[in-house]
Amino acid sequence: MSAATQQPTQMADKGLKGGSLGLVAVIVIGVASTAPGYSLAASLGLVTEKAGLKAPFIMLLAFVPMACIAASFYFLNKADPDCGTNFTWGVRAFGPKAGWIAGWGCIVADLVIMPNLAGVSGQYLMLLFSESLASNIYLTTFIGILFIIAMTWICWKGIELSARSQVLLLGTELVVLTLFAVIAIVKSSGDGIERTIDNVTYHSIHPSLSWISPSGLSMSSVAAGLVLAVFIYWGWDTCVSVNEEAKDSATTPGRAAVLSTIVLLVIYLIVSYGSVALLGPDFVTANSDDSLYALGKVALPTIVVKLLLIAVLTSAAASCQTTILPATRTMLSMGSHGAAPGKLARIDPRRLTPDYSTWLFGAVSIVWYVFLVVVSHNTSRNLYGSSIAAVGLAIAIYYGLSGVSCVVYFRRWIMKSAKNFLLMGFLPGLGGVMLLYVFFKTIIDNLKADGDRVLLITGTGLLVAGVPLMLLCAKKYPRFFTFRPDPIELVKDPTSDDTLAAPLGSYVKGSR
Amino acid sequence: MMAVLVAGIGGDGSGTAAARTAARVANLMGATLVLVFGYDPSRMGQRGGPLAEEVLAIGEHAIAEATAEIKALFPNLHIESEFVHDRAVDALIAVAKDRKAEVIAVGHGGEGPMRGALLGSITYEMVHRAPVPVLVVPDEDETE
Repeated sequence: MSAATQQPTQMADKGLKGGSLGLVAVIVIGVASTAPGYSLAASLGLVTEKAGLKAPFIMLLAFVPMACIAASFYFLNKADPDCGTNFTWGVRAFGPKAGWIAGWGCIVADLVIMPNLAGVSGQYLMLLFSESLASNIYLTTFIGILFIIAMTWICWKGIELSARSQVLLLGTELVVLTLFAVIAIVKSSGDGIERTIDNVTYHSIHPSLSWISPSGLSMSSVAAGLVLAVFIYWGWDTCVSVNEEAKDSATTPGRAAVLSTIVLLVIYLIVSYGSVALLGPDFVTANSDDSLYALGKVALPTIVVKLLLIAVLTSAAASCQTTILPATRTMLSMGSHGAAPGKLARIDPRRLTPDYSTWLFGAVSIVWYVFLVVVSHNTSRNLYGSSIAAVGLAIAIYYGLSGVSCVVYFRRWIMKSAKNFLLMGFLPGLGGVMLLYVFFKTIIDNLKADGDRVLLITGTGLLVAGVPLMLLCAKKYPRFFTFRPDPIELVKDPTSDDTLAAPLGSYVKGSR
Repeated sequence: MMAVLVAGIGGDGSGTAAARTAARVANLMGATLVLVFGYDPSRMGQRGGPLAEEVLAIGEHAIAEATAEIKALFPNLHIESEFVHDRAVDALIAVAKDRKAEVIAVGHGGEGPMRGALLGSITYEMVHRAPVPVLVVPDEDETE
């Protein structure tokens, strides 16, 4: 109320009013931005390839580092709720260079996933009509490009579905996925079923609790599985960040985060159980391009299969919330803080979105998508598999960095209480170390002779390309590169009332 | 208590024509005109930082221009402004309820009914959700 002034030219109160998101809406937004249908469709077959029957274990294990990192997001967000997230926090904890690379990692992760998003959407859209259309690479690529343009346009226009339509779409998605999982588990429990496809006979396997134990898995396959599976929890942190706007912010945020996490975990667990049990892990692996569809055809009536396809499609569309938006917001933040061309921070006054960043990101995505389609078509590598693993690498490095940033940034407060130590130190540190381990382990494993070159090029190649770009920016924008990490004695206690850090750039080299 | 009219202003100044019409009515009634700018960056993916600051600056600029224009036409009119951290429609409805407004005035950018329904035009949503009468005024040509 205090925002009202008689002289609009002197807007005394800069504070915008808090919004009104209820518990259900916050849960819905949290789960929707993780895009469970699409995440499963894109990664299930790849995880079974690495982990076989243990896919459910990998699905659960991947949650651990992501949950740990969410704790670091929560606290770092209190110091600086900047839309540049990892970029800004990296600068505050380690200085401008590390921050720049963390921001670049975020942009790369979002960029690398675009071909997969476009490919899956093109394929599942065509599958709605006929299987022969879906195998036409020109058609699916064309549809994929249209999809990227549409998503970019939506983000530029600032269109968002109302919470109510999200509840409807996500409700359908969750119901269809649950239905699929339950039918698949039931079918495989009794006598089971078998199918012969291309002279290979697949049998159902009785679901077993041993599928959620790590026994018999090598570290390499755990790392390879994890790098694929962290992707399915990507975006879950959105739920933590919208919490600030929630109604009754004392209780809603915590409850919503816990509930949406349980919903997600249960869905991933039962769907991976059902998928592996229905015709065995090899069947899922053999159909990794469209595993949910292939499985759905076996388990579900045709009409529900169509619903499953639609669920994957809407989920893919919803996941532009976790791809284009964070990337363009990071670009905006980097442009605005003078770490990159200022144009990136341009905002369209009508739509109130960063238009230059958004279209630039869309255009680069299309170029990257077409390039990957051409490469994978001519070298018969699995484009989808490599791109998911490459995203996993990029997520591992930038989430890993934010975990470590949290520990380093708040080092002054970690020892203040046991709770602080656990939430601010131990968990973010554990998540960071796990993810960085997965990152390096995957790279080392793939440097071997039979490694995945496409993965190395798309994942690490793009990340490494950030270094010369950063040096170029250091030449062009020297002021940003004089920023210092926040002095340790000035870092505020994130559990107190006053948590906001001084604006980025308050501390520069050679001054006090 | 003074009667209140509420008008929504967009970052590009859209809705200024609606605010002007509302100002004329408010002037006749001796009512207060409240200009509202609503924006919720968190719903579009991310939270604060430069995005929120720059959007607020854009909003302040748009409201300042609209206010100056209306002040010139109706020097005695009492004008206030509110910046609400929420979607434009929710912001307008919240302010209208809060202030027990007589009328909400919004601009209309010229979308057809289909486009408005599909792409979530503010006008379209407002007409269906407003708790009080809505005044819809076509925006001026952007090329002026």
